[in-house]
Amino acid sequence: MATLLTDVNSVLGLEIGSVQTRAVLFDVVEEAYQFLASGSAPTTCGEPTFDVMPGVIAAIRDLQEITGRFFLDLNNKLIIPSHGGVEGVDRLLITLSWGPDVDVVTYGLLNELSLETANRLARSLPLNIADSFSINDRRSTQVQMDALLAAKPRILIFAGGSDRGATRTVSRIAGKIATSLHLFKAEDRPKVLFCGNRAMARRVKEVLEKETTYASTTNIRPEIENEDLIQASFDLNQLVIDEKMHSINGLERIAAFSNEKPQLTGIGFQRVIRFLGKQYDPLRKVLGIDLGSAHVTASYAGYQESQQITLPIGTGYGLEKALEQSKFSDFEKWLPEALSESQVMDYLWQKTLFPNSLPVSETDLMIELAYARHLLCMTMRELEQHADLVSRSFEPILVGGSILTHAATPWQMLTTLLDGIQPVGISPLVVDKHGILSLLGAAAKTNPLLPVQVLESTAFISLATVVSVESKGKPGTVILKARLQTVSGKVRELVVKQGELSSLPLAFGETGMLLLKPEAKLSISDIEVGKDPIKVRGGVCGLVFDTRGRPLELPKDQIHRLAMLDRWSKPANQ
Amino acid sequence: MQNPVTQINPLVKIRRNRVLPVAGMVLVRVGQKVAPGEILAETLIPTKHVIVDVLNTLGLKNADEAEKLIDRQAGDLVDKHDIIAETGGLFSRVIRAPMPGKIISIKNGQVLLEVESRKVVVQSGYAGQVVEILNDRGAVVETNGTLIQGVWGNGLIGFGPFIVDSQSIDQELTPASLSLNTRGTILAASWCEQEESLNLAGSIPIAGLVLGSMSPRLIPCALKQNYPILLLEGFGRVAINDQAKNVLIASEQKEMSLNAVKWDHYSGIRPEISIALQSSGALEVESAEFAEGQKVRVHSSAYAGKTGVLTVINPGKTTLPNGLRTATASVLFQNNEKTVVPFSNFDIIDVEDRFPG
Repeated sequence: MATLLTDVNSVLGLEIGSVQTRAVLFDVVEEAYQFLASGSAPTTCGEPTFDVMPGVIAAIRDLQEITGRFFLDLNNKLIIPSHGGVEGVDRLLITLSWGPDVDVVTYGLLNELSLETANRLARSLPLNIADSFSINDRRSTQVQMDALLAAKPRILIFAGGSDRGATRTVSRIAGKIATSLHLFKAEDRPKVLFCGNRAMARRVKEVLEKETTYASTTNIRPEIENEDLIQASFDLNQLVIDEKMHSINGLERIAAFSNEKPQLTGIGFQRVIRFLGKQYDPLRKVLGIDLGSAHVTASYAGYQESQQITLPIGTGYGLEKALEQSKFSDFEKWLPEALSESQVMDYLWQKTLFPNSLPVSETDLMIELAYARHLLCMTMRELEQHADLVSRSFEPILVGGSILTHAATPWQMLTTLLDGIQPVGISPLVVDKHGILSLLGAAAKTNPLLPVQVLESTAFISLATVVSVESKGKPGTVILKARLQTVSGKVRELVVKQGELSSLPLAFGETGMLLLKPEAKLSISDIEVGKDPIKVRGGVCGLVFDTRGRPLELPKDQIHRLAMLDRWSKPANQ
Repeated sequence: MQNPVTQINPLVKIRRNRVLPVAGMVLVRVGQKVAPGEILAETLIPTKHVIVDVLNTLGLKNADEAEKLIDRQAGDLVDKHDIIAETGGLFSRVIRAPMPGKIISIKNGQVLLEVESRKVVVQSGYAGQVVEILNDRGAVVETNGTLIQGVWGNGLIGFGPFIVDSQSIDQELTPASLSLNTRGTILAASWCEQEESLNLAGSIPIAGLVLGSMSPRLIPCALKQNYPILLLEGFGRVAINDQAKNVLIASEQKEMSLNAVKWDHYSGIRPEISIALQSSGALEVESAEFAEGQKVRVHSSAYAGKTGVLTVINPGKTTLPNGLRTATASVLFQNNEKTVVPFSNFDIIDVEDRFPG
């Protein structure tokens, strides 16, 4: 059965999420790693159990039932390494997103340079930036010290100075931090991560190591024009995990079975998106969005650059923060039925109290999908405002999160993503149905074959390749004729009208050549329309044409808007 | 798998840890009887500091030189104008404390003074007896009595006589339902949709308010009130569930404590109503596995706020009306209506079925 590509065949991934703990099995099948199955159970880090283990054991047992393989012995102890490939696993990986955000403060030299980069580093993980300090800070030293004390940070991120830049100011800030740390009792002092001028690392260490736990990493702004957050975010992740190890009962017990420390979910997610960014069209970006219960993690990557943000808004535990920034009209515009403000807001606010609750009726699901659209809109705005995203041209778009993967139909999932992300150009949309993306990233460090091979398998569901066409034509007028020839030789044609969502069948896994013939003045981002056939991949919703325009404008008038949303609730040509 | 049990219990032994966020001084002893508002532990959290820069003020060359002139140590208390450092000699230059405070550190030729602090206390939250001291942090308080757990609170603690009748507990809280007679009492109503009602209750003032639900529009207004507001069901227009209603009506005129904290799912701390009683109860059951015969309360989606009996744990996964598939149980309501509810949409409220029918 298994071929020894490495000495590790079976890998068990544990993702300890805010709501669910998932146990995911990867193993070697026909000389390649495959995703085999996943089991799940409610996470038990919080009330009433306050111990991660019962949830982990229940998730692994669920996996045992699904696969018929045993991973736990009679004492519920993980069998590692495996016995002859039928019992246990060779390796354990753990990713973690459960728990409140860790409070941090950031120090930098200038607001618009190192401090901004330090904040960007902090925003890439589930951290709460309680305060920021720089030499531009107009507050007096005393007031800054009091603000630091009030912030009660667990981690202090200290950036500043390019690698051949400021030394004296960095030294002065280090001294100031050392003095400020005396405000805290020894056991309450925040850990310090220095991510500034490498030439100053030794001096800063001398000053701060005496006062608290100190770690240093690469300079996040080695040159004035360049940022490099990759290694720093990994090292920051380690400090955060250390904090969580102390606060989550049982985490050390299960982590003892793994050769590596657990990782924050976002770190693995970022690693996979970065990897994919190097594989695809260098002119476009790969986009990944994980709509989690407590956070939204959004990451994009090109051949050289990558950015990630973790927003403290989500579909369950992060719902309250999102609602505080939203108003009814943000959701109302996406509702395909007329619902009262109280009906919608009562439902969503109730969910803040019971973040694990599920939508039962069609109306509940409608509200949750309207909310998901708004959450995606907020995320895209944040990427543009705080992560330098300049174009919504992506190839592919990978999305995860139970709010979507539990959506009743693939078309509902697809329209939610299109409405929220509003991509331009030709974008394959892929769904992380089993929530394995971050585990693949976690595996990559020591087992790079695993993510590569699993990404090539059918573990992810391709929803559709979407062609977003922009034209000033009147709604309903023909703007394009599309001709698709599949690899099997079938030819399908479609007349595409302005203002619609239409589709051509092209099955998941199938490819075809698409020829577009414009009938009006139009554009498709990054594509010379009508010149050469374009290779496209199918998905469960086929090949989809979105001619609704960017940005997507919805009629103000409710009757027209509802009619339009109803029309888009299924492909126009069906 | 264990699930939390929401307490709606007429008589139970209540034990709660009451702790300071940071180390402080515990003011009670084991065996001591405490009132709801009694302070169990207190501490001072520093809020304002001043740096006295000896090095630069005296124009010295280095920190060592400055520190030699500082005739103080970390931990010393100083009054305004007390000498911090002096050069000595015939024309001695002196640096004095700008205000009274405590020296936190002397470093780099600078003296760090803590000049202001804020007192933080932890209260009992209900009448009971101290059964354990938690070193430097607080105490464990125990009592026997009625306990009802809520789902939302405006962050305040209060206590007072509980006034209720079988009519008002089923009705909306309106300005008309409030009178001067309610001053100093804790009231209960089905729901509230008007800011005016909350504001009027605050101006009377009442000692606390128990509601089934409240419009989420009122959250900012509720947070501004100076009396505790506790929701038993959540947001919207949901009446108090039957079981809680029966327990509340039976508690008429009793001295009630409202601990209207916000529900923290990570720590498990949630809003609670407690009424100390003389009789002795069994220790509360905090968690249980789902089982047939348990009394449950639906908290989300349709049937929110309704109590019933879990009749069947459905095998595998069930397809919900909207197409989602998930683990469910069948629940029989008091009106004999039966429905299927996802596990995640109800909570256990009674494992012993003390309230048949």
